[in-house]
Amino acid sequence: MALLQINDPGAAPTPIGIDLGTTNSLVAYVTTLGRPTAIFDCDGEALVPSVVHYPEAGDIVVGRDAQALAIAHPRDTLVSVKRFMGRGAGDPETRRLGPYRFATDEGPVVRFAVAGGRVVTPVEASAEILRTLKENAEDELGKVGGAVITVPAYFDDAQRQATKDAARLAGLEVLRLLNEPTAAALAYGLDSQKNGTFVVYDLGGGTFDVTVLVLDDGVFQVRATGGDTQLGGDDVDRAIAETLLAAMGEDPKGELAPSLVRAALDAARAAKHALTDTDETVARVAAPGRAVHEQTLTRSALDALVTPVVERTAPTCRRALRDSGIALDAIDGVILVGGSTRMPLVRRFVAEMFGKTPLDSIDPDQVVALGAAVQADLLAGAGPRKDVLLLDVLPLSLGIETMGGVVERILPRNTAIPAGAKQTFTTYADQQTGFELHVV
Amino acid sequence: MENPFDTLGLPLRFDLDPQDIERRYRDLQRAVHPDRHTTAAPATRRAALSGAVSVSEAYRTLRDEVLRAEALLRALGRPVDLETAKPEPELLMEMMELRESLHEARVAGDARRVDGLRSRVVAERDTTLAELTQKFVAGDLDRATALVSRLRYYRRFLDEVAGFEDEDTHLGPR
Repeated sequence: MALLQINDPGAAPTPIGIDLGTTNSLVAYVTTLGRPTAIFDCDGEALVPSVVHYPEAGDIVVGRDAQALAIAHPRDTLVSVKRFMGRGAGDPETRRLGPYRFATDEGPVVRFAVAGGRVVTPVEASAEILRTLKENAEDELGKVGGAVITVPAYFDDAQRQATKDAARLAGLEVLRLLNEPTAAALAYGLDSQKNGTFVVYDLGGGTFDVTVLVLDDGVFQVRATGGDTQLGGDDVDRAIAETLLAAMGEDPKGELAPSLVRAALDAARAAKHALTDTDETVARVAAPGRAVHEQTLTRSALDALVTPVVERTAPTCRRALRDSGIALDAIDGVILVGGSTRMPLVRRFVAEMFGKTPLDSIDPDQVVALGAAVQADLLAGAGPRKDVLLLDVLPLSLGIETMGGVVERILPRNTAIPAGAKQTFTTYADQQTGFELHVV
Repeated sequence: MENPFDTLGLPLRFDLDPQDIERRYRDLQRAVHPDRHTTAAPATRRAALSGAVSVSEAYRTLRDEVLRAEALLRALGRPVDLETAKPEPELLMEMMELRESLHEARVAGDARRVDGLRSRVVAERDTTLAELTQKFVAGDLDRATALVSRLRYYRRFLDEVAGFEDEDTHLGPR
């Protein structure tokens, strides 16, 4: 239980760090003694499941209470909404196994049709989660100041903008968006005070990021970053759920009752978690209106489903290493971030790939929010600390679209930021009076 | 316009120690980075931002051997004009042959051959780099310019090989 914080109404608002995760979200701050600390809700929990439930009437429900309503109301309870942020309605990612009802099949934005005749976008749903986190923070700290919100390093501009929009809707002032692996490195670096070259391997619910960093006397310099915004623990859940559904005589690719889909996904996730510590578990699918289905799941069966996921991370890791110009044997340590790195197979894979036992002394579920809190404190706190500086990079190249759809790449990926570039273009037609700048 | 060597406070020479470049870059950012000036007046913050951008650009240029060589030539009054620079015919022949071999090796799925081609170009690149350093020291800027052109071709080839190796999946860690 956190110590009582005596709130001085005249005191400056406290800046906060927020990890808006695919599966769980968290808010943290830096205490007056300089310690990054997670904020707990009135049930003593720091993690807020990133689940939003829209009832027929009444208040929107966020978190564990929303999770409890997911099976009974599968279409009105949005889970892992982060994977829909910044994506169009026709994006194949939005069509993967899930119980939702979409208001439209096209358009630049996904729209969920939920109870009460409401149509909700991922930005609006994320804003609800952020609002809850803000309220939890205000309960603890009184006035809340600017927020640093983390995003996967590999999020593109649309996804980042969507995150900022959600924050604005929730009434938060965004100090900066911070890349999740950098945030984790910040938390570890401050904790250990050790110089060196580190890799952050961040496998969450829906995204994978890998970042190579140099830590040198308080300067955290990102050398390269890579990732996949469609890869994570949710893919493992889906694979397990498909196995369960098939065993139940259902066609996983066919038309399925939404509550059955949600029940299968929930059972899959619970089994996956259980298999972290045992070799065998019973998955239990409890869908309304049908007999409970129980099925034994072994660790080796799980490993077979997880293997393709981790194998997909290998080329990304190699590319990031190459882009950084740092050799594999020059890496001093590997930091694990994200709940999915709890899986024994993932740990073995990372240890083998980098030839080092991964570091996980800071809770992989909290480390990102703690790092964000440190950055928020640096940017808006009592004044910049002389000893800490974050130097990040562009995760994806930036360019301008020219006539004919050709992209002129101006700033390559992994360019150190702040960065600028100058390039000369000519108009396409005579007497042209204007142009559209399409940054890609 | 200040050249990147001056921006980072490094001597006007080609064979810079990469560690020196890194250290100077970080030291400068410690001073100018906008995050260091969050409580300052807007004009100061703007100056900090533009300073940090210059430092980042200088760093990017000097860290990359090809860009560093080009910047050095420019600083020494011999800017490279990419439009008119004509590559040596022998180089073009060599690159064409290499590309054909690479394509064949790829189509045949011959990873070892691809690796062999890469090693060969890496060796050529390293030899060229050594010669380039010498030419800069000797002040032979004509030869230096030609060698930089070679480096650019080798770089493009190696980037392509790297791209292929990324796409070909390997089972488990390498």
